[in-house]
Amino acid sequence: MSFPEPLQKLIDEFSRFPGIGPKTAQRLSFFLLSRPREEAAALARAILEAKDKLFFCSLCGCLTEKDPCRYCSDPRRDQKLFCVVQEPRDVLRLEQTGHYHGLYHVLHGALSPLDGLGPEELRLPQLLQRLVEKEAEELIVATNPNVEGDATAAYIASLVKPLNIKVTRIAFGLPVGGDLEYADDLTLSRALEGRREM
Amino acid sequence: MAERSYKTDALVLSSRPLGEADRLIELLTWERGKLSAVARGARKTKSRLAAGVDLFTYGHYQLHRGRSLDLITGQEVKEHFTAFREDASLYPFGLFLAELAGRLVRSEEPAPETCRLLLEGWRLLCGKDLDLTGRMLLCRAFELKMMSSTGFRPHLENCLLCHAPETLYFSPSQGGLLCRRCAGGDAVRLSAGTAALARRLLQAPLEQVKMLRPLAQQLRELAAIAAAFRRYHFDIGELRSLQLIKLLNPPSR
Repeated sequence: MSFPEPLQKLIDEFSRFPGIGPKTAQRLSFFLLSRPREEAAALARAILEAKDKLFFCSLCGCLTEKDPCRYCSDPRRDQKLFCVVQEPRDVLRLEQTGHYHGLYHVLHGALSPLDGLGPEELRLPQLLQRLVEKEAEELIVATNPNVEGDATAAYIASLVKPLNIKVTRIAFGLPVGGDLEYADDLTLSRALEGRREM
Repeated sequence: MAERSYKTDALVLSSRPLGEADRLIELLTWERGKLSAVARGARKTKSRLAAGVDLFTYGHYQLHRGRSLDLITGQEVKEHFTAFREDASLYPFGLFLAELAGRLVRSEEPAPETCRLLLEGWRLLCGKDLDLTGRMLLCRAFELKMMSSTGFRPHLENCLLCHAPETLYFSPSQGGLLCRRCAGGDAVRLSAGTAALARRLLQAPLEQVKMLRPLAQQLRELAAIAAAFRRYHFDIGELRSLQLIKLLNPPSR
């Protein structure tokens, strides 16, 4: 069975999205066709607007519609505290917690030579320059807690410590709501290492 | 009819994000060689699979045969090689062993020798006994042994054409040492010390690398002939982890 050409084109476009297979692409396409024209137009406009207006901040590398971004240009934020993350979406996630009020730096990846990502592909020279310029006092390394993220954190620490800047790693431990019984050995041992006085 | 579910011991060679929250894992197993499998939801913080499907893990896995890729349904970690996470300069050495094993081993072919070598190699690298020279030597020994186990053992005893005991050259294309009379083509000069070192690395257990004290020149020659031999006999391209080893471990002046 073949679909009419415009529908097939829509399905093909949806199929290019990560995590969207042909069946889901069909479902999304049929849903869109069942909605009023204005809704489809609004979606198309939103896609183009995001594509046209968003870019990476020249300082921290997060997604923004003005340069420097709202975090880098906010004087109320702690200018001596930096947090380094792998991806722009990690900035948004940390902001949602409402617990961090320093500056950010996005690496756009982690050390993973098998995927073609070495130190040169990460935004490390820019990080070092910003730390020196701002006379930073602390750098929080919030890369993902997997092998690539941990190795990147260790590499960053080796670069930043000689600058006499305190380097900290976000804590590892048990997820809120989880059972101790089901925790793996590595998480448990890290949770024990990172315990704190009550 | 073959069982849909099976269990196996394995070493994780690579672990990449897949879709929303999954991971695509490459496992090296004793009985089935290399296989790819999906760990559903392994990137979520509460996933019970997450800790066992990260790179540099030795574990026991339960899998379910899928139409294209197998699914990991359970895991029990036997050994985590955490030193690779904590020492950025050590990380690419562990990657090198994993990358080479992954490129040389084929799917669905038992690989007990490679599994044993990789496990031993990771353990030695994560131990405290090896300095930078030891790590480099271990990589060369692992490489020579891996090539040998796949049927491409370099001839390092005497001239491979006339069997003369005195050799001065190594030919990647012919696969071994050559004497002055037989040398030609792509043969490069190789000192007697480097030839003896290569022989020792090929024959002795991996752990003996910590007892060897090669000269810097010998290490360079060894790396060059190993790379040339690998390029000629194995169509596996450049190893990306090697670039990171060079970058994070610059030679001391």
